[in-house]
Amino acid sequence: MKKSFKALFLTTAVTASLLGGCSGSSSSPAPGDGASYTIGIGQFAAHGSLDNCREGFLLGLAEEGIVEGQNLTVLYENSQADGGIASQIITNFASQKVDLICGIATPMAQTAYGVGKRQDIPVIFTAVTDPVAAELANADGTPVGEITGTSDKLPVTQQLQMIRTMLPDAKTIGIIYTTSEVNSLSTIEEYKAASGDYGFEIVDIGISTTADVPLAADSLLEKVDCVTNLTDNTVVASLPVILDKAARKNIPVFGSEIEQVKIGCLAAMGLDYIDLGKQTGRMAAAVLKGEKKASEMNYEVIEEAAFYGNTKVAENLGITIPEELTSSAKELFTDIDQ
Amino acid sequence: MTLLLGVLEEGLIYGVMALGVYITYKILDFPDLSVDSTFPMGAALTASALMSGIHPAATLLLSFGAGALAGCATGFIHVKLKVRDLLSGIIVMTGLYSLNLRFAGGRANVPVFTQDTIFENQFLADHIPQWLSSYTMALILFLIIAVCKVLLDLYLNTRSGYLLRAVGDNESLVTSLAKDKGMVKILGLAIANGFSALAGSIYCQHKGFFEISVGTGTIVIGLASVIIGIQLLCPENGTSFLNSLKLPQVRPTTAVIAGSVVYKACISLAISLGMEANDLKLITSILFLVILVVSTERRKKVKSHA
Repeated sequence: MKKSFKALFLTTAVTASLLGGCSGSSSSPAPGDGASYTIGIGQFAAHGSLDNCREGFLLGLAEEGIVEGQNLTVLYENSQADGGIASQIITNFASQKVDLICGIATPMAQTAYGVGKRQDIPVIFTAVTDPVAAELANADGTPVGEITGTSDKLPVTQQLQMIRTMLPDAKTIGIIYTTSEVNSLSTIEEYKAASGDYGFEIVDIGISTTADVPLAADSLLEKVDCVTNLTDNTVVASLPVILDKAARKNIPVFGSEIEQVKIGCLAAMGLDYIDLGKQTGRMAAAVLKGEKKASEMNYEVIEEAAFYGNTKVAENLGITIPEELTSSAKELFTDIDQ
Repeated sequence: MTLLLGVLEEGLIYGVMALGVYITYKILDFPDLSVDSTFPMGAALTASALMSGIHPAATLLLSFGAGALAGCATGFIHVKLKVRDLLSGIIVMTGLYSLNLRFAGGRANVPVFTQDTIFENQFLADHIPQWLSSYTMALILFLIIAVCKVLLDLYLNTRSGYLLRAVGDNESLVTSLAKDKGMVKILGLAIANGFSALAGSIYCQHKGFFEISVGTGTIVIGLASVIIGIQLLCPENGTSFLNSLKLPQVRPTTAVIAGSVVYKACISLAISLGMEANDLKLITSILFLVILVVSTERRKKVKSHA
């Protein structure tokens, strides 16, 4: 009897003392004129692009006059890629009666939708590559319920166009992807469908863990004229290995976003995740202000992909980036960030 | 209220899996890691089955059956191929990861928002009155777990159930009864993983999608539930604080389910106090350690093994 009391007591004490140091201070909005809002932002994992999405999201809300600390309280949680935690985070938001939930990345958006539709809380998602496949939107782009948002679908045709401009003689493009990442699968399909129009053939190779990357890269580099990257998490994490092997064979590697170009990809037609977040924030503002319901807005993709290039990499490969690309570049790097 | 209901629902879903872990960890004394893969296996099979129009209730049985097969595989590897217990679980867990992706049609994320599930279907829409609707999920979960618990309790009191308990406590007794202790172990693992896959199936239908990462850390949740539940509600020295409150002693199966709800409540509390997901695993492990250290029974056992 004593023992179990002791266990209960110790458990409570330890948990409480651990929690004591960690409880975050939430800034409650000052009472002003006009409405004030509380939103919950659930982010699936900590990851440069996703962090940028969140930052942009708050900027987008601010542009519409909904400013954190003034008329907006933000509850933010990150699930560190744990599905069980994700669902508890969202339930927690729901119990605090937030006005809107923002789900960043597919699993978080799906969790938010599952809970939101039971509690009548509108959901705005971002960084969901294929909202239709995730059943967060109908095939024609209309919402499935009180949920809408933005997709971070890669600008595949623009990327192919850019590769064609840079490498007029290339015939094959290699892609390494993780077989368990849904986003990669749908992007590969798109590459395959569009590659013919630009005279390319796609050679893809699937991996299941980080450990497979070196072998896959060796085998792929034997067969292709250049490599292009998706936003595949596992592959992006091992990008330095691929870049190193490709550089030795003098094969150009194209990226899919700014961060990849920074660390040594030749170029990318990529998304600016801050812009994506801003676009999402504006949609959320419309829902919060009651101008439009989430169910009345189709999900959006970012219209303009921007060109990013790395002149140092080009020099190493003996390639000059054509004038038509450099002139429209959003950012050109002159060094490789190690 | 929403939060309490949320915690209860989560706790009950994982409680089904914890019943399985109770069999392997507490009864068989077998550290079975295969639950980390049978949980998502139940979810993967359910997602595919729902997509192909199989009745939601049938997916529960399907998942249990498939989980039981996987459990048999772990048992077979351990008992017949003489691989160490921990390793047999790891082998099955690793292999099933690939198979789970296949079960889900080669995709790591399968949504079933538009399909009928055990929580959302025409029958419920017709028969559940409006005022009850926010409690429907909790009630259905309660019903499922009650059936699981009662069946498990009944089974543990059969001849075969006694043998199962005997294998964990005293293997030579089973041998002296001219029974094959290996077969008993395999049976135990089969039931345990059946429960784990069943929980995965419920999870998938509750959340509305399957995701390959759902299995990560299942065993930790299971162990936490078993240890918290047993230590708090029915420790093996026989008296718990329930007795001192003049409440009746509960069965271990009930304790395990309660443990799962308590564990989820701790996590929920931690989140609402502003802790980051990064720190939650540390909390779990400390919770674990504290309860284990306090349990004298466990300490004695380790000593006698040393």
